[in-house]
Amino acid sequence: MNISRRTLLTAASTVALLAQPMAAAAQDLPRNVRMVIGSSSTGGDTYQNASILADALSDHLGVNIRVDPVGASEAFKALARDSRGTTIMMHHDQSYLQELYGVEGSPDIFAETIVGPTISVNPGNAYLVPADSPYESMEDILAAAEAGERVRVAIQPGGVSEIGFTAMRNAARMRAPGSEENIVAVNTGDQADKNQAMWDDLADVINGSIQANEQFTQMPPDDPTAMRFIWITATPETLNQAPEEGLGETTREDMLTFAAPAVSVPMTDEEDFTFDKEFFLMFNPDTDPAIIETIDTAMEEIYAEGEIQDRFLSSFFTPDYRPMAEAQEHLQSKNDDYETIISDLKPE
Amino acid sequence: MDLLAHLLDPWFIGLICGGTLMGIVFGAIPGMTATMAVAVCLPLTFSLGLVNGLALLLSLYVGGITGGLVPAILLGIPGTPSSITTTFDGFPMAQRGEGEKALKIAIIASVVGGLVSLVALYFFAPVLAKFAIKFSYVEKFLIIFFALTVMAALSKDMLLGIFSGVLGIFLSLIGTYDITNGGNGHTRLIPPGMDYWLDGGFALLPVLIGIFGVTVILEEAEKGMPRGQSLKDIEVGPHSRFSFSIFRGQTTNLLRSGGIGTFVGILPGVGGSAASILSYTAAKTTSRHPERFGKGEPAGVIASEAGNNGLTGGALVPLLSLGIPGDSTTALLIGAFALQGIQVGPLFISQNLDTWNAMITAMVISNLVMLVTMYFAIRWFAMVIAVPKQILYPFILMMCVIGAYTINYGIIFDVWTLLIFGVFGWLMVKLRLEVAPFIIGFILGPSAEIYFVKSLESFGDPFIFFTKSWIAAVLWILIVASIVMSVILSRRNQGDGAMPT
Repeated sequence: MNISRRTLLTAASTVALLAQPMAAAAQDLPRNVRMVIGSSSTGGDTYQNASILADALSDHLGVNIRVDPVGASEAFKALARDSRGTTIMMHHDQSYLQELYGVEGSPDIFAETIVGPTISVNPGNAYLVPADSPYESMEDILAAAEAGERVRVAIQPGGVSEIGFTAMRNAARMRAPGSEENIVAVNTGDQADKNQAMWDDLADVINGSIQANEQFTQMPPDDPTAMRFIWITATPETLNQAPEEGLGETTREDMLTFAAPAVSVPMTDEEDFTFDKEFFLMFNPDTDPAIIETIDTAMEEIYAEGEIQDRFLSSFFTPDYRPMAEAQEHLQSKNDDYETIISDLKPE
Repeated sequence: MDLLAHLLDPWFIGLICGGTLMGIVFGAIPGMTATMAVAVCLPLTFSLGLVNGLALLLSLYVGGITGGLVPAILLGIPGTPSSITTTFDGFPMAQRGEGEKALKIAIIASVVGGLVSLVALYFFAPVLAKFAIKFSYVEKFLIIFFALTVMAALSKDMLLGIFSGVLGIFLSLIGTYDITNGGNGHTRLIPPGMDYWLDGGFALLPVLIGIFGVTVILEEAEKGMPRGQSLKDIEVGPHSRFSFSIFRGQTTNLLRSGGIGTFVGILPGVGGSAASILSYTAAKTTSRHPERFGKGEPAGVIASEAGNNGLTGGALVPLLSLGIPGDSTTALLIGAFALQGIQVGPLFISQNLDTWNAMITAMVISNLVMLVTMYFAIRWFAMVIAVPKQILYPFILMMCVIGAYTINYGIIFDVWTLLIFGVFGWLMVKLRLEVAPFIIGFILGPSAEIYFVKSLESFGDPFIFFTKSWIAAVLWILIVASIVMSVILSRRNQGDGAMPT
């Protein structure tokens, strides 16, 4: 059989057409993508989640994705400068909460970026008291505030750390209007500062996390660093997805005893306050929609394969992929819920 | 037996050797730091596994901190912020042809400081961590204040020195009073129209390499094209050769400096540069010949290097006993644990004995590798002085620009900061302002502000600084002693000059 030039061309075209769906995923994307994150720490949950996603996307799309922990302010600047799709941003609820709390220079992410798919949840946001604290439960704290006792809560203001504190004040106000004034913030910096505030007896309650504080809850009660969980803000649905063995010596069952509905911090008359710290992507508003679509589709395929879930779970995160449109609606709804209670509690 | 298995694992040993060498190279290039070396290699640790990953990162840390002494001594440019004080005496020694001697002194002091801190880490980590939590905002402020009093001791003209230091503090406060540090998130001191660039303030490393690196280049450019030094200039005559007798009478200095480095390291948030600054000051104020400091006194090099390497073990104490990093590099190490899903906290050591032993082993081996490598490679390091300056300085400038650009993952304003402070440093010398107090003020200013404000916010009583605890009382005694000694030294040295700036 003679192989004519036409036959060769036809064969080559057929191969090219068949290969197109596989190559299409990556061809919209630049070869090198920079994933800036809203944290400047490589030891925190934002970097961990970004690394897991970046690895998976790199493998799936065949492009280089590098995670740069530049912090929120620089990340938003970098995102605003680059509409080519070479810079994407990954952050969590802090990115809209800081705007709701009026932190200077915070953008409105729903107006100034394209909010992308959600990635995962850190179910660890928690509140703790010293091991020898008189407060055994959130009920005790709200009752103390009602009785006129001052309860000092160490938080990092303007975001995820503060939202639970706002919820406490909201619950106190619902229980006895005016008692919310007895729940006062002790503004600190990072987790080390919050722990230190407790050890210095400057705070009665501190914001922390299961990951960062669990070992302190295992210390003997007479140890000066010993603490107890008093509230975990994650939804029971999220906690139920965590590994059954939990983290350290605290099992999933133990964790559920500190979360809603076992611990009630009312948000409305019908509903308890819960908060899942969710990670999601953001894009420059002028980014080519095909690039965003490529990433969204790739994530859908990665989560369908199922391997990424194991990586998230092994680091004590809950996989939480929501496609672009669904994610936007979901995050906007969270934003609106929190906006209501934050604005209600703003000083006159 | 697990420990033996690690020692026999060529991969483990190879990573330590490679990490130490790479760390030395990073530390030795102006503009590159130990923190950068660890940041670059952090993503590799996921595939290496926890023990091997940590061996690599810890070796990079030890090598990087030590590598900073090379440019500090040979070029007067600190390779890392914690080697600033090494320039004070190391560079004058190199200028008078004792570069090799200064390097050898610094290397041995580094190893001793590193080993002192490792002993403290291995045997006393939980006890030291319990002690560290007694340091609240008030005590931390007083330590920073104590380190700031050093400005006076390091000044040629005390008044101008203090003014320079206060100017450094002022410039360090430009930008946002950062929420992540406990601030209110508001910006301040930013000139109109500069908010976009200055909301994060001037980054430390570009300022540092601008002041020390670019300024040196501008000064040399101003002098014209001098003859390059030859290798003969580095080591002049038998009197300048290195001999272990230099360490005679320096045991106290070595141990005290290593101890100060370790102690500063265990206090989260105080900052690594304070370790070498405090060690240097302690050596100077207790010396029989304080007037020799700043003019090429080996005891100054010993104090600085033993102090900053003492930090390496000290900074791991709060990390491994409380889950709180002691400095910026150990903050990156948390990432290695987190990427492996390992919790770091008060139970880490008891629950991960194998990892703990492997970490200590890795650091001991890394210190020894560093000693052997650097001790025998000194001739090659020292050859940098023989490179013609028209080739050397453009290369240094290029590395400074690359370092400034990459330190915060690609912010072009950091390059502008480098150049602005390079010119500013050059002008400072013309105006008789003093560089050392300025840079110490710039480094310590933000911490001083935060701990001062937080002390007042938390306790609501200005007298708390005097009444908080016995630790505060001891720190006040040290502060007063430091100020008195500075005044005495200043009077003694009047007209003589204490520091090259």
